[in-house]
Amino acid sequence: MTASFVPILLVDVAGSLGMILLAFLCLRLALRLRLLAPTNIIWTYLLWLCYALSIFAVSRSAGHILKQLLLMTGHAAIWAEIRPYSGAVNSFSFMVVGAVTLFFERSWQIYQQISKDKQALQVAHAQLLDLNQNLESRVRERTMALTLSEAKYRRIFEGSRDMVAVVDGEGRILDLNPAGHRLLSPAAAPSVAGKIDFKCYLAQRRDWEQLTAALRGAGAVSSLELDLVLPDGSARRTLLSGSLAEGPQGEPPTIHLMIKDIEQQRRMREQMAQAEKLASIGELSAGVAHEINNPLGIILGYTQLMLRGERPETERFQDLKTIEKHVRHCQSIIGDLLSFARSSPPQRGPVDIHPLIDEVLQFMQYQGDLAQIEIHKIYDDHIAPLHLDAKKIKQVLINLIMNASYAMGKRGTLTLTTRRDPAGGHMILDVADTGCGIHPKDLARIFDPFFTTKPTDQGTGLGLSVSYGIIKNHGGDIRVASRAGQGTTFSILLPLSPAAGDASDAGAEKADGS
Amino acid sequence: MSVLRAAASLTGLLMGVLLTADPAGATQTHGAPEGLYVHQIAHLFFIVSMGTLEFWLRQRNLVREQGWKYIQLAAILFILWNLGAMTVHFMDEHLDLLGIRKVGFWRIHIDSLPGHFGLALLYYLLKLDHLLCVPAMYFLYRGLRRLLAEAEAESAGESPP
Repeated sequence: MTASFVPILLVDVAGSLGMILLAFLCLRLALRLRLLAPTNIIWTYLLWLCYALSIFAVSRSAGHILKQLLLMTGHAAIWAEIRPYSGAVNSFSFMVVGAVTLFFERSWQIYQQISKDKQALQVAHAQLLDLNQNLESRVRERTMALTLSEAKYRRIFEGSRDMVAVVDGEGRILDLNPAGHRLLSPAAAPSVAGKIDFKCYLAQRRDWEQLTAALRGAGAVSSLELDLVLPDGSARRTLLSGSLAEGPQGEPPTIHLMIKDIEQQRRMREQMAQAEKLASIGELSAGVAHEINNPLGIILGYTQLMLRGERPETERFQDLKTIEKHVRHCQSIIGDLLSFARSSPPQRGPVDIHPLIDEVLQFMQYQGDLAQIEIHKIYDDHIAPLHLDAKKIKQVLINLIMNASYAMGKRGTLTLTTRRDPAGGHMILDVADTGCGIHPKDLARIFDPFFTTKPTDQGTGLGLSVSYGIIKNHGGDIRVASRAGQGTTFSILLPLSPAAGDASDAGAEKADGS
Repeated sequence: MSVLRAAASLTGLLMGVLLTADPAGATQTHGAPEGLYVHQIAHLFFIVSMGTLEFWLRQRNLVREQGWKYIQLAAILFILWNLGAMTVHFMDEHLDLLGIRKVGFWRIHIDSLPGHFGLALLYYLLKLDHLLCVPAMYFLYRGLRRLLAEAEAESAGESPP
């Protein structure tokens, strides 16, 4: 095959020049890239690639041009001397290109890892720097927030009117707020290793088992009514809510209790029930009394008419007298029932309570009912005259003092105290004895008509009922507190202002009218 | 004891080799074919490295960017150029396949075995190897120019052109 040598020559020479030109242009661009980011490993690689290609381009292209010139000018021998050097440099440049590229792949992976580590280090450094710079203020802020939070919850704990307690699984009280201290008086309670046992306050020991079982089951209990027995022996009805709290760091669980003293409410409920019951009995009694009173009046009238025609020594006269006596007794009972039912308004006037009490006491001492009884009088001299029906109040006092005397037997102490109600509006007269007290089961019935614990021939059971009616008729109240074996205190509350009593009179008249 | 015995044996063997060696065997002589082999191996190394670069560009998804796409084309053209150059070197060194002589000043004659005209034509075409390596350099230049523009725009906080 014979062909023109010109294309080979032209392409060789022109290509060689182009290779040199392009190689240096590439090197220039790679240098600029490297200058932009000297630590960028990709740009570094491209720079080294361009270095190697430039060496290759110069070596090969210059060799080719020189070869063509020497061959055309008949200096083949010179070219034969130069050729090995040119070839060796070309081989070297190929090796450099290959080595740079292959090492670059490994270097790239290392560079990537270093970049990630660098970024992580920079982030960590920034965080550390920020933490270091703001540590003090952050600690201060957190401490302040913690203090405020602690103070807030401490205020709730300390300021709660209800008892708040933290107890362990065995019932030992770990923490107790002031309301709890006031309620439980733990100083007076027995303690084990300095801890008060909450269980010893429970009236029923099985309540603790029920409470812990409910807490273990549901984690919390609410509105559980429990009776507590305080160190002084008094009982308190309470409403308990509690929850089981796990320790934040794996400590044994504790029980958080909130206990509301509802003894007062319980008493009020009982008093209201008692008042409603007595009001119902009163209405019934008034109805019956009215119906019976008229026939009794007729019987008494006819009996007295028949007595006029009889001589006293006759047996018939004695029979009629017996009838008259029993009719009058019935009328007396009817009268008491009507007093209890408050069917007739009191005849009021200004009364100084203390002389009235003294008068009753003198009368009773004169009768000999209080011969062996020690009497204490504690009067509040600032109590102004009250608007009372003196006769009926005397009747109430006589009833109460006679009951006290009966309860104390031969010896005892009777204390009469007058004081103002702290809430204002009432005078309180306490009649306290050191007698046998009233059994708890009888307390709810003592104001019931015909209820008595006395033997049949010693009382009708109307004394306290009548007293209750009279005091209610004055717009007041009568309460009783008693502990079996230790005595009883009756407290009479009478309004200090006449207006309150008058309003009650109007109610009584209305009831009477109906 | 066995270690000491092994060490003594090894030392004896080494001394024997050193004392009985021909002085001419101390260094190896490198004749004419070695230069060709080294050059061909260098071409092969160049091909492997360009293949690695092309593979790396694909793996890193860099070929989606225009600048790296040019560089990928450059790598492929360099591979082709190396293959061509290796073939020409092979043909040049095997004169039994082809015979090349000048016919006048501007013409050459390529002798080939009967029925192997294609070899002569291939040789002629492969002699025009700059048609592969110059475009390869050109695409490398384009790629670098693009990458530089993007890098400069990025460092200036602008979007690349």
